[in-house]
Amino acid sequence: MKPLSQRLNDQLERGGKRIRNSGEAPGWLASPLQAESPDPEVDELVALARHVQSHPHLHAYPDFADLLERRLLMHHASLNRKQPGRQRFVPRLWQAHPALGIALGICLLVLLLGTGMLVAAAQVTNPANPLSVIKHWEQHVQVSLTNSPENRAEWDLQAAREQLDRLAGLANAAHEEAYLPALSAFNQQVRGAESAIQALPAGPHRERLSNELTALDVEARHTLRGWLPQLDVPQRLITTDELGRLGDRVPHLLSIAIVLSAPANEQATISISGDNIQPGAQLLVDGQIMEAQGTYQDGLSVFTINWSGSQHPASIGILNPDDTAAQTTVITMTSLTNGSNGNNGEHGNGKNGRKPTRTPPPHH
Amino acid sequence: MQALGCQLERARRGESEAMSMLYRQFLPGVFGYIAARVPDRATAEDLTSEVFLKMVEGISQLRATDEAGFAAWLLQIARFTVAGYYRKRERLPVLVSLAPSAQEEEAGGDSEALLRSPPSQDPAARAETHDEWNTVVSAINTLTEEQRQVLVGRLILGYDLATVARMIGKKANAVKALQFRALHSLHRLLEKQGWPEQASHVQTRQRGGKP
Repeated sequence: MKPLSQRLNDQLERGGKRIRNSGEAPGWLASPLQAESPDPEVDELVALARHVQSHPHLHAYPDFADLLERRLLMHHASLNRKQPGRQRFVPRLWQAHPALGIALGICLLVLLLGTGMLVAAAQVTNPANPLSVIKHWEQHVQVSLTNSPENRAEWDLQAAREQLDRLAGLANAAHEEAYLPALSAFNQQVRGAESAIQALPAGPHRERLSNELTALDVEARHTLRGWLPQLDVPQRLITTDELGRLGDRVPHLLSIAIVLSAPANEQATISISGDNIQPGAQLLVDGQIMEAQGTYQDGLSVFTINWSGSQHPASIGILNPDDTAAQTTVITMTSLTNGSNGNNGEHGNGKNGRKPTRTPPPHH
Repeated sequence: MQALGCQLERARRGESEAMSMLYRQFLPGVFGYIAARVPDRATAEDLTSEVFLKMVEGISQLRATDEAGFAAWLLQIARFTVAGYYRKRERLPVLVSLAPSAQEEEAGGDSEALLRSPPSQDPAARAETHDEWNTVVSAINTLTEEQRQVLVGRLILGYDLATVARMIGKKANAVKALQFRALHSLHRLLEKQGWPEQASHVQTRQRGGKP
């Protein structure tokens, strides 16, 4: 059985429909609902509802309704007379001086576009983006407005921090072109901050900023190292350079010697000496990782690889197991084909050299 | 609902015709709500006028865009107006007046009231109706505000459950329960005062028969 509230509602709605359909006055005693329904409790409530609903006290008299309507309209009209100017100032201006209105509109539009562009430029991370020109201009204006050396040093430091944050979005193989200039910009900003801090007179302010710069260097080293595994070889090379500038231990190549064996063997032995070359380092030829057998002893790595072709390599490098990389173009090439230790010279002329066999770089 | 939204928009823009239409549509609800709260018709008319004047003044700031929202706003004004009336009345000293009483006034204390009174009722019937209605008003005043709004929405404005639910910010089932509790409380309170016999007597007198 339905709850009382539901039964009451059903009865009220049925009664309402009946009254609406028949047009009869809702008299509570004469209601036929009572006779039909077997639910006396609900019927009493429905009767009460009809009684309240149809009670003459609840209905406004027509003459009162008319009087009040007239009074309302007069009040409304007097209100409209009191406050027309404020609400309709712009439409009136538009009608009176259309040219002025158009000029005002254009000014507003330009202002909005300009502000929007400056805001959008401030968010740009990609130096290839045309808005980066505006961003540089904004930064230039900010720097030129910063007149005290303390403020300037603070600003440089802050700019370097922001640039490091922006770099995070570019540290992957997909953004190689944007990553390299952005890293270079970061380097310039760190150097700028360094010079600005050095130019400050000794004191607590300079000490605080120096500490902040040191903290930024440490943070940058940690961050850049973290990115290395996800970068391409060219990105790793430039990132390693930056790590070196930030004071990290990175590989540094001193000399490269290539010894070509007899043509029949098509073998080359590449000896690489330098600092911080790690055991297990891979060989890079012209920026590509090569399949080569290597040994490492006393800071000297020796690789033996298949050598075919006739071109002198433009660069030789290594890729350490910790993903730091270094390369150099200073290469000494020696050929054993002419029966002597003939030296083709540094930056080899390539006449007698042979092109190494390359393996495709790994995908990151 | 859509049409009322347009009327509201036009009234906000200051169109008198839209304001009139809103007034005509909501006069029964507002008057019914107020008349169910105050003991005499003259006061109900004064307070109703006050509510609609406030509507004209405040409609430009109104955010509601549908019928339920507008009805809720208007009934809220009515509620505050009635509350203000009772507050003022509490502050007034109780005086024994030699002037005609409320029902006497309604029955013909002034020419305007005489004009407004339904011609079919004789003074004795009106006095009985007034007494009976005072009992109903006292009972209605003991209901909660939500119960009163549900009764006004359902019985006077004739809204369906969903509209009343939107009006008071409840679900349809809650409205059903409020409707039941309101009528049940009213019935219980009126029974103590001798209802329905009293109402039956009044109704018979109104129809011109004998009690």
